[in-house]
Order: sequence, then C-alpha cells, then structure tokens
Amino acid sequence: MTDQPATDQPSESVERANEIQAPTATAVLTHVVRSIVDDADAVHVDAVEGRNRLKLEVKVGPGDLGRVIGRRGRTAQSIRTVVRAAATRDGVEVDVDFVD
Amino acid sequence: MEWVEFTARTLEEAKDLALDRLGVAADDAEFEVLAEPKPGLFGRLRGEARVRARVRPAQARQKIDRRERRPRKAAAAAAEGGEAAAKPAKAPTKDRVHAGPKPRAKPRQQSDQPDQPEPADTELVTPQRTQEHNDVNARQVGDEARKFIDELVAAFSFTGTTELIEDGDDLEIRVHGDNLGLLVGPRGTTLQAVQDLARVASQRRLGDHDTRLRIDIGGYRQRRKEALDRFALQMAEEVKQSGVARVLEPMSSADRKIVHDALSGVEGIATRSEGDDPYRRVVITPANDG
Repeated sequence: MTDQPATDQPSESVERANEIQAPTATAVLTHVVRSIVDDADAVHVDAVEGRNRLKLEVKVGPGDLGRVIGRRGRTAQSIRTVVRAAATRDGVEVDVDFVD
Repeated sequence: MEWVEFTARTLEEAKDLALDRLGVAADDAEFEVLAEPKPGLFGRLRGEARVRARVRPAQARQKIDRRERRPRKAAAAAAEGGEAAAKPAKAPTKDRVHAGPKPRAKPRQQSDQPDQPEPADTELVTPQRTQEHNDVNARQVGDEARKFIDELVAAFSFTGTTELIEDGDDLEIRVHGDNLGLLVGPRGTTLQAVQDLARVASQRRLGDHDTRLRIDIGGYRQRRKEALDRFALQMAEEVKQSGVARVLEPMSSADRKIVHDALSGVEGIATRSEGDDPYRRVVITPANDG
C-alpha cells in the first residue's frame, strides 16, 4: 500500500502537502477506501490546502462511489470519523471529500 | 444473517423486540408479519402478534460479479441454466458451505438445508431472499476483516496485535495494544466507525449476510458492557422497588441490546424500546405494567 497514487501524478505542491501535512490521515484514508471498493487501483487520494484545514480528496473508479458513501452516507461518515482521528496524529484537521 | 422471530401483544412491540435483538435500526431491518394480534373478549388477547425480522442485506451486490475473488460469474451462469444446485462450489471449502452458489435477483431454487424455521401459519409470501444461502464462510469473512484491521492499525502507526474469535457466525476481532484510545474515540464513536468499515470491507464486499462481526479495541466494549450491565441491573432494582417505569437515556442499538440482555432474566420487570434512532431508548417497566 502506498500513500500516493500509482498514476495520475499530482502536482508537486499537492504531493508535498500530502506527505508532509497528513501522512497518517492519508495512509488511513487510502487503506480504508482501497479495502472497500471493487477497483482498488483506481483509488487516488490528493491533499488540497484549504483555508484553514487540509482537504483530502478521494477519487474512486466508476461505480465505486456508491459503496464508499454507503446507505445514507453512513460509510462516508465512518470514513471521515476514522480519518479525522488519524489526522490528530499528524496535528492537523482534515476534511474528506469524495469525487467520482 | 439469520431471521429472528418474536411475539408480542402488538405488532409494534414485536418489531421492537426484534430490532433490539438484531441490534440494528428499523431502516436496516426487514420484517415479515407472521400473525396479526387477535383481540379476544374483555381486552384479553387471543392471539399475539408474531413478526420475524432480519438485518436487511446490503444492496450493492451485483458489483460482486466484477470481482475475481469468488466464482460469481460462474455462479450466475449456472443459475441461469437452472443448475445452481448441481454446480460444485469452487471456492468455499470450509465447514459452513451450503448447497449451491447464490444468484442475485434470480428466483431462488430449492435449498436442501433451510436455515430458518418455516412457521406453519406464515401469512405473507416469503420473500425469495429468505431462501438464500451463503457461500462465503465465516472464516473468510473473519480473515478479511482481521486483515483490514491489522492494516488499519499499521496505517495509524500503532503497534497492536489482533485476535479473531470465531463462534459459529459470531465473529469478534479484538485489538490489543497500548494507547489505542484514538481508535476508540469519544464514547466509542471511532470504534463504531472502525467496525462499520470493517463490515463493509469484509461482509459486504464478500457478499456475506450470515456472520455478525464485532470489533473491540483495547477492551473498550468489554468494559462498556460491564458498566452497562451494572447500570441496567441497578435501574431494574429501582423499578422493582418503586413500581414506577424508568426511561433510560437514548442509546445505540448495540447498547440497548446489552441492556435488554442484561435484564432478560430479571424477575418482576420488563424492558422495551421506544422512539426512533438516534433517540431510541430503553424503558424498564414493572412486569405487570403492560
């Protein structure tokens, strides 16, 4: 499992933000999402600097968004809960966004 | 997931009992009414309401066809040919293997091993899904869930060991280690989320409906259960002494189940749940009070 997507290289700054600011949160998020979807290789996590918190953007393969979000957003909420807990180890607050 | 069956004076009560036994919210359960309550003379009850229920299976099942984990494609093809039962199950080899592969959205065929009781007076048509059998065994689900948890702990840069406890379809993964409090979170919220995700990653992904998976981290659930047991018994004692019903604070379905279970053997009181999640709460009443 790697913290970075294998393809679709993010820009230098994004990648640095990803590595430096929230390594634990990113590792946890990547692991969880990859464990849930059908197409684990299509999972990409990017860190984007927000105004005062870090935004982790998750991209999943076509058709996998439903499973990641879950019934009534329950899975998405669980992911956010766990990732925010992980982010405290990085000393940052994060948001998690899911995109198709 | 197996069916549970309950009788009570009203349909509502029977459903409540079933929900608490299953430990899920109403939205996540499906019901069949087996018998409506029949009123008798003078408010006596001639027949009680009977309901059976189970945890609603996850919906996104067709996706599993795209996985290479298990021979789903072959299963579906075989089912279309009407030979589901004749097709040898390839992957599952452990003890819990049932008859054929399980086609989704196809009428279920004869099963030679019904795993739920068929009540004689079933009034509603049994949904076809009740006939399904699972071709995923508990060990596979447990292994998958444990792997998920192991990797999660590692991703958190924690060190811990995991233990898988199998008791038939009841699976529990216990995580041992120091300073795992972050994975439990305030009032167990993070632990609950971890458990949800482990379920998605194992049961749902493998298309399993039979096992019950629980996660405990750092002994939190055990301690919580012990505290709740004590609390419930204390409340029950008060109700018995005072003869006045007592409404507990809203709790999760898992906690309500602990309370109901703790008090199921206590004479002189009865328990039920009221309200809708997330405000659903247990009510302890004197036994003759309803």
